Amino acid sequence: MLAAVAVMILPLVWMLLASFKEPDEIYTVPIQWLPSGWDLSNYAQALERVPFGSFFANSLFVTLIGAGLKIVLGLTTAYALVFVDVPFKKVFFAVVVFALLVPQQIVIIPNYTLVAELGWLNTYQGIILPGLASAFGTFLFRQHFLSLPASVMEAAVLDGAGHLRRLFQFVVPMSAPTIAAVALVSVVNEWNEYLWPLLVVDRAEMMTLPVGLTLLQNNDGVTNWGVLMAGTVMVTVPVLALFFVLQRRIVSGLTAGAVTG
Amino acid sequence: MSSTILSPPGRGPSAGPGITPAAPGSRHGQARPRPAGRRRRTSANWLLFALLAGPNIALLLVFTYKPLLQSLYYSTLQWNIGSAIARPVGLRNYTDWFTAPGTGQIIMVTVVFTLATVGGGMVIGLALALLLNSRLKLRGAARTIVVAPYVLSGVAVGLLWLFVFDPNFGITSAVLQGIGLASPDWYNHPGYALAMVIIVYLWKNVGYVALIYLAGLQAIPRDLLEAASLDGAGRIRTLVGITFPLLGPTTFFLSVTTLLSSLQSFDIIQAMTKGGPLEGTTTMMYQIYQQGFVAGTAGYSSAIATILFLVLLAVTLLQLKFVERKVHYS
Amino acid sequence: MKNRFASIPSAGTSAVPAGLSRRNILTLAGILGGSAALAACGGPSTAGTGGAVETAGTDWGSITPADRITWWSNHPGASKPIEEELIRRFTAETGIEVDLVTAGANYDEVAQRFQASAGTNNVPDLVGASDVWWFRYMINGQILPVDDVAAHLGIDTADYNTGLYNDYEFNGSHWAFPYARSTPLFYYNRTLFKAAGLPDRAPKTWDEYNSWAPDLAAANGGAVPMALGSDTSWSAWWFCNIMWGLGGQYSKEWTLTLDDPKTLEAGEFLRRMIHRDQTVAVSAADYVADFTAGVSSCTIASTGSLSGILEAAKFDVGTGFLPEGPAGPGCPTGGTGIAIAAEKSPEQQLAAAMFLQFIGEPEQTAYFSANTGYMPVRTSAADSAEMQAVYAKAPQFRTAVDQLATTRVQDWARSFVPSGDQHLTTALEKIMLQDTPAADAFAAASDAIAKSFEQNVEPYL
Repeated sequence: MLAAVAVMILPLVWMLLASFKEPDEIYTVPIQWLPSGWDLSNYAQALERVPFGSFFANSLFVTLIGAGLKIVLGLTTAYALVFVDVPFKKVFFAVVVFALLVPQQIVIIPNYTLVAELGWLNTYQGIILPGLASAFGTFLFRQHFLSLPASVMEAAVLDGAGHLRRLFQFVVPMSAPTIAAVALVSVVNEWNEYLWPLLVVDRAEMMTLPVGLTLLQNNDGVTNWGVLMAGTVMVTVPVLALFFVLQRRIVSGLTAGAVTG
Repeated sequence: MSSTILSPPGRGPSAGPGITPAAPGSRHGQARPRPAGRRRRTSANWLLFALLAGPNIALLLVFTYKPLLQSLYYSTLQWNIGSAIARPVGLRNYTDWFTAPGTGQIIMVTVVFTLATVGGGMVIGLALALLLNSRLKLRGAARTIVVAPYVLSGVAVGLLWLFVFDPNFGITSAVLQGIGLASPDWYNHPGYALAMVIIVYLWKNVGYVALIYLAGLQAIPRDLLEAASLDGAGRIRTLVGITFPLLGPTTFFLSVTTLLSSLQSFDIIQAMTKGGPLEGTTTMMYQIYQQGFVAGTAGYSSAIATILFLVLLAVTLLQLKFVERKVHYS
Repeated sequence: MKNRFASIPSAGTSAVPAGLSRRNILTLAGILGGSAALAACGGPSTAGTGGAVETAGTDWGSITPADRITWWSNHPGASKPIEEELIRRFTAETGIEVDLVTAGANYDEVAQRFQASAGTNNVPDLVGASDVWWFRYMINGQILPVDDVAAHLGIDTADYNTGLYNDYEFNGSHWAFPYARSTPLFYYNRTLFKAAGLPDRAPKTWDEYNSWAPDLAAANGGAVPMALGSDTSWSAWWFCNIMWGLGGQYSKEWTLTLDDPKTLEAGEFLRRMIHRDQTVAVSAADYVADFTAGVSSCTIASTGSLSGILEAAKFDVGTGFLPEGPAGPGCPTGGTGIAIAAEKSPEQQLAAAMFLQFIGEPEQTAYFSANTGYMPVRTSAADSAEMQAVYAKAPQFRTAVDQLATTRVQDWARSFVPSGDQHLTTALEKIMLQDTPAADAFAAASDAIAKSFEQNVEPYL
């Protein structure tokens, strides 16, 4: 276990150490583990070269709205697929599930064109909407809803609850673990999405963190790794911190039997 | 959207039976339709269905299926991205891909990358989950650390590891030298380069697998395991005889989700090797990007994307069939 | 031209027409059918001829320049503040505002965006056009030939470094102005050269280098003295030096010459140096880092890396011309120019051309060059007071500028054919990493490039 933990954590420590190093400390033979000083000049330089503040705000906004809406869409769609009785439900379910199989790259050129035509380049809706639909979440929620005991819904109906109340007061609370699983995956994906925002955003003030980070790489051979690692630390630390704070909930949510049935 | 759009076809008056859109908390519609008033119920249900599932399905149609069709059409064109003109070439892009000298290797790389990241990820993830499920000190901390890389950006992870693997200045080389070995030439040898991106992919994603398996493990009823140990079954026998079968549904769930994300992985390869050296880390997914955006041959790229889509479709349909049957009744 | 992506009706949602008054199924069918219809009309047109924009047309004299233009740049050499200053000066002089957009971290990203933007309302007025991209823009019909508008504005094109300006020439027109231009340069570790008892200069020829290599290796713990980078967009560039020096070339105009005995000899020469003589090695990861850390005693790197190398190296860095071959010197040029988008209004284009004229003025060129390390693209700027001050501070830079006199325009197989560079890189990787005979490696590249030319270039010429 110790070895596993070491392998997982060593690169992160290395990144942190490198972010304090000057170029001539990074490229040394033999390896120099510790930086000679702990000044923040690489961080200052990274912050000066690119607007990390707005990258962070954009990432946060895109992630919260994108992942939030995605979960709501998944829940309502799954509810409709399971509890609303209409013909051809299987067809609609198929429409949702097959979307999982469409690789992102295949849709990227037409979607770029559409978003550009709409004048949505460099906008939040342009970043969020094309990837907003919930296929994975809907699939999981549906699986879970099907496993809910029929007595619950009957009780809800007897209670006179409307559909939205049935969904949010009866079904959702019983689905917390599945929601935790979907939320984790959605948040992580939105936060880290790279290719799409790279294409639809060209203004630095609208960029998300992963896209903005690459601006610190340099042309013509020379990359200042200290600065780049400082940027990488600033991209990773907020997510790590959030994860550390929430991990107990996420893990207990998952382990309550989420994705096992 | 007006309710009239949503009334069923060929039934009843076209204007619809005066059903108003369900407001939040509306009591229209019922889970189980009854014979009486079936039409009415059906239209009400359609309305409800459209309200609940409509936005999601509309998004899928607009941003997934429409572009998919467009892309299918592009795959029959000789079209360079940015160009105003294109020539219809029928299936030439497809035959070109199948006959290109590098295609065999790209298929190999894709298969190796996929099997290693999906299969390897599940084995390592399960092992980690079993460790994390045992009684250890600082289990919570260990769990957090194992899962942590999963939440990081693939680009950041790629950049970080680029630096870790540097044969002259990286940690791997320092560690290997410490035990008297020379660092492999990670960046100049196609095989090592592929191993490298697989390692990084696993490092980033194995925590997710471990977490889901851990969830599966903790859902196994204690008494079952206790009964087994009372029966005198050893740890290995318990593991093979009870734990693994009960993890079946979790395994299928993971096989579907990790396969999909593995086949679509892009950012680690982009940040670390850009598909090289000697196209030794060019998967089909990376080739789609490379041909579409770097080489600019959008038609050809669309053809490869279509082939990948069909393969994914076939593989996943098989899996889903399995999952539907097995997972649901576990 | 304008409706290449035949305008997609305002949003996908309009696939549910407001007037449709019934039937959910029909609605769904409508959405699906709408999708199909859109699929058929979105994207490129299969009618028409397209290709490069025709030269003649606009009567520039009757045009009033626009008061605001957009420029897509990747700020080569971390030049964002320099570019902003140039814009400030331009606006002060003309009143025309310039929006500077970070359209990518490198030339490729800018190019990807620019090509994807074709036919949308997001096309910039000015765009970075690197050596391997501008031709693609041209055959796509995305950029404007600059000769007419340059003549109208009275731009002194003769004062531009001839090689650097003519890099953008095709069919008698020029398609961009040089901007952040670089060449490969020989860098050496003066301390190690001294320790090896060698003169304090770059080797004059490759043969001389090879004769020095054993001493250099001995002085540096046996390490192979020169570590070269093998990346895409890089190795097929510096290889021009060895190849041209031996009289070979990738292509003569559109005729591939990868099977030419002299080209093959160059490939074999490289192969011999790496695999038999071990006077040259392929860098394990980062050839610049290998050099600045003293792992290798010399390397070939871009002139654009000069300031970074000077900053990172703990020893005295020397620079020199690239080694010559029997056929003389061979030095390619690279970096980026700036092109004017074809699909903008003449008013925008004129304002864009005025900006190019402005930043091409000797004073501005010298300012940019002095602050970034890119070549001064104007002959009269190279000897300006501002540049003299730079040379005094970093004499290594003088070498880079002097070497410009030996440059020549790149072979079309690399710079003009889509994926040409990639196929050549693969061939060189085979030679460098796998000891493949040059004849085999180049034959495969030749086939692939010929096919790409046939499909992606020929029909558009």
